[in-house]
Amino acid sequence: MSGIVTYIERDFLKWSRGRVAVISALIMPAAWLIFVGLALPVRFTGNYLDFITPGILVMTMLTAGLSGGTLLMFDKILGFLNKFLALPTPREDILIGKILFITGRGLIQTSIILVIAVLIGATLLSPLQYGLIYIVLFLFGVLIAAFSTTIALYLDDHDSYSAFNTMISMPLFFTSSALMPYDVMPPWLATIARLNPLSYAIDAVRDVGSGGLPLGSVSLLTIMALLVLVCSITVFRKVTI
Amino acid sequence: MTLAIETTALTRYYDDLCAVDHLSLSVNNEIFALLGPNGSGKTTTVLMLTTLLHPTTGTATVCGHNITTEAGQVRNCISYVPQDMAVDIRLTGRENVHLFAKLYGVKNPKDRTDEVLAVMELTDRADDLIKTYSGGMRRRLELAQALVHEPEVLFLDEPTLGLDVAARKKIWEHIRGLRQKGMTIFVTTHYMDEADQFCDRVGIISNGKIAALGSPEELKARLMKDVITVRIEGQYPDHPVDAVSYVGQSGDEVTFTAENGSEALPHLAKTLESRGVRVHAIDLHEPTLDDVFLQAVGPQEEPHGFSDAKFRIMLRRRK
Ligand SMILES: Nc1ncnc2c1ncn2[C@@H]1O[C@H](COP(=O)(O)OP(=O)(O)OP(=O)(O)O)[C@@H](O)[C@H]1O
Ligand SMILES: [Mg+2]
Repeated sequence: MSGIVTYIERDFLKWSRGRVAVISALIMPAAWLIFVGLALPVRFTGNYLDFITPGILVMTMLTAGLSGGTLLMFDKILGFLNKFLALPTPREDILIGKILFITGRGLIQTSIILVIAVLIGATLLSPLQYGLIYIVLFLFGVLIAAFSTTIALYLDDHDSYSAFNTMISMPLFFTSSALMPYDVMPPWLATIARLNPLSYAIDAVRDVGSGGLPLGSVSLLTIMALLVLVCSITVFRKVTI
Repeated sequence: MTLAIETTALTRYYDDLCAVDHLSLSVNNEIFALLGPNGSGKTTTVLMLTTLLHPTTGTATVCGHNITTEAGQVRNCISYVPQDMAVDIRLTGRENVHLFAKLYGVKNPKDRTDEVLAVMELTDRADDLIKTYSGGMRRRLELAQALVHEPEVLFLDEPTLGLDVAARKKIWEHIRGLRQKGMTIFVTTHYMDEADQFCDRVGIISNGKIAALGSPEELKARLMKDVITVRIEGQYPDHPVDAVSYVGQSGDEVTFTAENGSEALPHLAKTLESRGVRVHAIDLHEPTLDDVFLQAVGPQEEPHGFSDAKFRIMLRRRK
């Protein structure tokens, strides 16, 4: 347990020292929100900002999670992983710490989006609703972070990891329900969008925003996150013997 | 007493390539150096002993614990400094060490951090970012990280690689200090002079096999005797002298070999004088570990890549 905290502390300290990385991580999602939410002249629903915010929140978690895999990749390439593996601290702490840090960093980014969304005209929700949104985002974050760290463990170098990252992030985003509701999509896209895990999270956040309690998607997300987490730990044990 | 490290027929293959081949070693409470050219299997051996790599066959124990079945206990009593430096350059020296103190679960991590930083003479620069450290300082910082937990066995993979003479000496003085405190140190290097000067015992490894094993003195004495040349006046009367053996005379130079040249030298001089031979000069060449190494490993037949031994021979020819 204390090992996990220490590993998170290390990553956080390292991250906070890179000013450009911090600023871009905090500004980029907000820029997206303002650009897509205010500038695009689309009107599917009453308040497009309320509609698009969940999509931007989940997309931010997705980017944060996928780029998080590079952290483990660099630890592996630069020899930190080997140093940590030779320590008496339980080895899984390295992996759990990484996944929690990646998720936590994503949650910080999404908090900024939530604040800005309200500032530029989104509906203010109740504390309970915000709590539920955080739970959904956390589960989705763990799912993606566990997935990306697993890939990072399998791949050998950073180039192939970033290739994988680009290959997966954009298609996932554009085939989800982030930008438009299912009923305005072409049928083929709607089918894909309904299978896309991104949509589960987006729909769940939207559901919370409109007063619902998305137990179905939350339990589905929980199960998926746990499954991928177990895979990740198994791969980690196998790779590190 | 349990041995610090004991390996029995430790073997590791990377696909078809045999990196470590039936290595059997015992290391006591001492400074033990694994000496070998590039690609001879030093790092692979260290990785296995630090539980980072499974042996293909064979076993080893560290502090009495089996490296495969009791890996957790092994990690409890060792520290490992890898060949490639890995310190977080965006953190300060103190933060880097404090991190490891907490990971090792040391009591009073703060105090212990200050202590080891002081031992490694880094207190002045402790709060600077590693970015501003020199290579030697980074190496000492890595040692500090490894020492916060006072391991029983310390594994150092090429701790002085790329450092200048002064920095190398400093690192070795620290290592000697640790040895005095009762720590076992397993170090790999390809600097012969270091192994010769600072290590209790060395194992010369070549293509994954031990080619020679013993204390530097033993190895030098065993593999090649000291050479003594004496310049005298006239002809040498061929009478045997204790502790040296006569090789021959060319011109006014007589050559002897001895088991221990520096001890035999005064004796030889005295004996020659007492026999009425006029001695002008005596020259003693002690065989260095370089010679031992070349004799044990032989000229390296390495088809791929850079060969340390060949490079050495090349340098010598130039002189
Ligand atoms: N991960 C790996 N996959 C395949 N072959 C490897 C791997 N690691 C090392 N080898 C091979 O195993 C042999 C021994 O390598 P090792 O790194 O143990 O040598 P070394 O003695 O540490 O060399 P150096 O002095 O260059 O550090 C070499 O021939 C090397 O090419
Ligand atoms: Mg090596």
